[in-house]
Amino acid sequence: MFTEPLLSGITLGGIYALIAMGLTLQYGVARIMNLSYGESLVAAAFAALWLFTSVSVNPLIGLFVIVPLAGIINWLIYRILLVPLVKRAPSRDALEVDSILATFGLLFVAQGVMLAIFGGNYFSYDFLSIPVKIFGATISASRLLALGFAVVIGLALYLGLTRTRAGTAIRAVAVDPVSAQLVAIDVRATAAFAYALGGALVAAGGVLVSMFLTFNANLGVVFTMKALIVVIMGGVGNLLGCLVAGLILGLTETFVATYVDPGLTLAATYIIFILVLLLRPQGLFGTRRS
Amino acid sequence: MLEVSGLSVAYGKHRALDDVTLSVAQREIVVILGANSSGKTSLLKAIAGVVPKSGARVSLNGRDLEKMRANDIVEAGLALVPEGRGIFGELTVRENLLLGAYAKRARAKEKENLERAISLFPKLAQRMGQAANTMSGGEQQMVAIGRALMSAPDILLLDEPSLGLAPVVCGELFASLGKIRDAGIGVLLVEQNAKRSLQIADRGYLIETGRITGEGSAAQLREDPAVQRAYLGVA
Ligand SMILES: Nc1ncnc2c1ncn2[C@@H]1O[C@H](COP(=O)(O)OP(=O)(O)OP(=O)(O)O)[C@@H](O)[C@H]1O
Ligand SMILES: [Mg+2]
Repeated sequence: MFTEPLLSGITLGGIYALIAMGLTLQYGVARIMNLSYGESLVAAAFAALWLFTSVSVNPLIGLFVIVPLAGIINWLIYRILLVPLVKRAPSRDALEVDSILATFGLLFVAQGVMLAIFGGNYFSYDFLSIPVKIFGATISASRLLALGFAVVIGLALYLGLTRTRAGTAIRAVAVDPVSAQLVAIDVRATAAFAYALGGALVAAGGVLVSMFLTFNANLGVVFTMKALIVVIMGGVGNLLGCLVAGLILGLTETFVATYVDPGLTLAATYIIFILVLLLRPQGLFGTRRS
Repeated sequence: MLEVSGLSVAYGKHRALDDVTLSVAQREIVVILGANSSGKTSLLKAIAGVVPKSGARVSLNGRDLEKMRANDIVEAGLALVPEGRGIFGELTVRENLLLGAYAKRARAKEKENLERAISLFPKLAQRMGQAANTMSGGEQQMVAIGRALMSAPDILLLDEPSLGLAPVVCGELFASLGKIRDAGIGVLLVEQNAKRSLQIADRGYLIETGRITGEGSAAQLREDPAVQRAYLGVA
């Protein structure tokens, strides 16, 4: 009884964490505050839906097409749309403001295109919704698989960022982009790569979400917001913070929906968010910045 | 051999450097002495490609650097230890040092250079796993210099490395600069500690409000009355 929402909550939370990691990469390394972030998620969900229903490619195989494609598209967006902003911005803070405006525009374009193609209806598809029993609870196989993939992707990201030369360089740019160039790191190329990686992560989240949630063309904003809440709650730029805050959010939503009232999930999310901001404004794992 | 000529830097209308010419050979320490806001930091940053410069010819072993971006200048063999050290505070000492070897020119000799950096600053050996911003000022300066050496530079630029260090630590630091020179690296050192730096330097330049106003061997500069008055506290 209790284990069911727990498992669902962990699945949802794991995916929130994954999505938030992508956002924190884009913001922390490229200093782009991407308001159109959730649109990538919804687009990936639609892509998975289309692959599954039209060409009967299952979403787990779809991941291997959609995620790299999302990476490439996001890289191009950075190179074509955002690099001009990077070049003219006198400081990183100025870039942040410019990027909010630019990606706000991008949000409407992406949302408009998806609305034109799919309309405002909710979509879902039936992939592996066979019930599986673990710890006495019943959960659909697709949810479990989604959780498994989220864990694997998150872990791979963590190891990649902490154990490899390229990953360390990405973190170095996040910490101090001026010093990064003094150790021969090409900061602009690294920022483009981090932005693309963030886009790939949120697309992975979109494919996984599409396996067990219904979605529509307007849902991007909701995910952008949740990713932002998780990032801020966990501490900007902190992957472990993303994980913990993502789980907190996922579990809260699921438990409130199960035991209190599904209509109150958003309210509960905000209460927790505000509590964290009041008690630990730098986030759970954040360090105070000077 | 680093050769700079006709280098100017302007921030908007404010001209911080005007037509500077200097050179640094391998295996020598060259010191630049100047008062506050005379343009020392701007000079090093301009050479390293961190701030835009105009009209300059900058060449390293015959290769032109003036059009290169900062990261490519490191690849070409010039490393800067910036004012305030510029280490990656949230990363560990090991990560900082290994990032120094991010340059392609340095990757093959990463292990050797790491050993060299640690033999120069043995204190770092026990601190490898520590976050760099939890180290003392002197240790952070060692990390910064060690990181720069990890890129296997031909020329090393240092911006006031002794700033804020206790005299003993300062002495160790200058001793290590001597060893770096003896390893064949050309060192361009910006300092306000004229006494110490003229002791280890081979040559020096004087800079005032963005212009080079004098140059000579370290011995000549030590004896120069103007230098003594301005920098050595001799009345
Ligand atoms: N980013 C900047 N924007 C505008 N003016 C600057 C900038 N950096 C330096 N300046 C100005 O250029 C001049 C030279 O500065 P610089 O930092 O090169 O001097 P410095 O010799 O290193 O001084 P210090 O000994 O205090 O470190 C100063 O007048 C300074 O105010
Ligand atoms: Mg200075």
